[in-house]
Amino acid sequence: MTASVQLQDVTFGYHAAHPVLRQISLAVERGTFLAIVGPNGAGKSTLINLLAGVLKPRSGTLSIDGADIQSYRQPELARKVAVVRQEFIPTFAFSVAETVMMARTPYFGQLGFERQSDHRIVTEAMELTDTSQFAARPLGSLSGGERQRVFIARALAQDTPILLLDEPTSFLDLRHQVGIYDLLKSIQQDKGRTIISITHDINLAAQYCDQVLLLLPCPVDSSSRAAAPGLPGPAHYRMGPPSEVFTPERIREAFGVGVFSAPVGRETVILPLGRLARDADRTDPRSAPRENKP
Amino acid sequence: MPRLLSPKILFLRIAAAALLLFLTMLLCSLVGTEEISLRTALTGSADALSPNPDFEILMHVRVPRIILAAIVGAALAGAGVTFQAVLRNPLADPYILGISSGAGLGAMLAVISGVNWTLWGRSPIAVFAFAGALGTVWLVWMIGRVTGKFHVTGLLLAGVVVNACFSAVIMFLTSIAKSQDVYATIFWLMGNMNEEDFFVLWAGAGAVGAGLVALFFISPQLNAISFGATDAQSIGIDVRRTQFLAFAISAFITAVAVSLSGLIGFVGLIVPHAVRLVLGPDHRQLLPLSSLVGAMFLVAADTVARVVVAPAQLPVGVITAMVGGPFFLILLMRYNKKVGWLT
Repeated sequence: MTASVQLQDVTFGYHAAHPVLRQISLAVERGTFLAIVGPNGAGKSTLINLLAGVLKPRSGTLSIDGADIQSYRQPELARKVAVVRQEFIPTFAFSVAETVMMARTPYFGQLGFERQSDHRIVTEAMELTDTSQFAARPLGSLSGGERQRVFIARALAQDTPILLLDEPTSFLDLRHQVGIYDLLKSIQQDKGRTIISITHDINLAAQYCDQVLLLLPCPVDSSSRAAAPGLPGPAHYRMGPPSEVFTPERIREAFGVGVFSAPVGRETVILPLGRLARDADRTDPRSAPRENKP
Repeated sequence: MPRLLSPKILFLRIAAAALLLFLTMLLCSLVGTEEISLRTALTGSADALSPNPDFEILMHVRVPRIILAAIVGAALAGAGVTFQAVLRNPLADPYILGISSGAGLGAMLAVISGVNWTLWGRSPIAVFAFAGALGTVWLVWMIGRVTGKFHVTGLLLAGVVVNACFSAVIMFLTSIAKSQDVYATIFWLMGNMNEEDFFVLWAGAGAVGAGLVALFFISPQLNAISFGATDAQSIGIDVRRTQFLAFAISAFITAVAVSLSGLIGFVGLIVPHAVRLVLGPDHRQLLPLSSLVGAMFLVAADTVARVVVAPAQLPVGVITAMVGGPFFLILLMRYNKKVGWLT
């Protein structure tokens, strides 16, 4: 079985001297729900942009569905990979249905209008995301959670095997966060899509994802980090099932915060705790806040 | 699933707007300082022995001018729609990327250099303004390309800066030029309709019509691009090609309009907004209907301009701004609640 997404020694930097992602090799099996987590500046969005073909790696190869990403032309890549970017309100008041239909633009007929099959796909995507109820309303009049579902519907209407999402649940309340995760999980399970999503909520990711990728900012001097104790494999990223990757030590190391963890249900819940938090005294003593400079 | 725009609805709306445009043009051709009768003009003989003054006025004075106003109105409104979509900016108009100052500089140079040849029946002012307009857009495009990967902010800034520089050059030339030259340029720049040869009208109509048809074929892509270049790219749109075509074609038809009638403000800004408020932002519909409404609007405005202070005439740009502004505000207040456009 070929991997849905495969990276082989991928390095990328906006400037050659400062790589954001360095020598990353990993494979995402088809139908996997992968969460990308990591501190700000670790290159999470950069990785999404590489997978979406917006950026090109400086070295290494990146393959989508078994073929090098460079071999796809942009419209071909759009048939493999759909992207849900951070939620925004467009300049003009397009309705929900018009927005979702936009995903079908490359397939429109000669006159620039959708075909019957496009209608079917869009209707299905809107029913799945529960957005049909406000199909006629302009995007600007929806709440953040509703709008996020519309953009997920548009990505679904693109009918791609791979779905990329950049922080789909930031700015959403608890109910809508859970709603988005349930929706993504059902898309993964019912449709067999590969879902790759950036998130900052490690506990939700642990509840829903099969695999997590923990990215760390590239160290300036690579040799000093390569031998970090307790971190087998390359030190600047780590991929595996949530229970292996999300250990209190690793989270503390990655984010530089004190953590407080307890087994809850099937997972270990990890809470970040600052110096003045009520339970600060109960955090792991080794996770002393970063201000204790070495 | 609500009803989306279908080719049938679009065709019916275009046909209705075209009919309305024809009626507007017919009506306006009968309005003027001289009373004329359509029946006399069309049935009366028009040979050399017994001249038919009604026919002469209709066919050689009013109709050419009305056709010109329709061409210019359609071009400016269509270009306005396109610039607003590609720049993702509701404040964009056809002149935003420096076309106005480029054309102005061209016109100024034509006047003070005193050349007096004509090209295809066009005065040096028109030819220089056309070249100035296209040259400036090209310059802005190249600057935008150097500053970033077609980032719209870079293009807008380049447009603003080039506009400012060229305006300064125009002012410098104004301060050292002879006063009658300055007057001729400023009068031209204010935007005026003249009675043009039919050859000029056909050429203009052909150029603008072809440009608008070409823009219609990229209008689905303009919908996607108005969500942002990266976003459109992920959907599978060839963003570079669409952006380039949109800029090149709308700059071209704007330059044609400017060389025909000078700078007429407001049409390219408010007509797209008015049509968008009523019919929604889908560019497949917005582009053709804005062009037709823009033509109607400018024909009507020019009719007012030539009769309201008769026998004198006002520059049509004065009318478009004075009438269009309040009309637009009424539309905005009436429809904003419905579509939540500014919220």
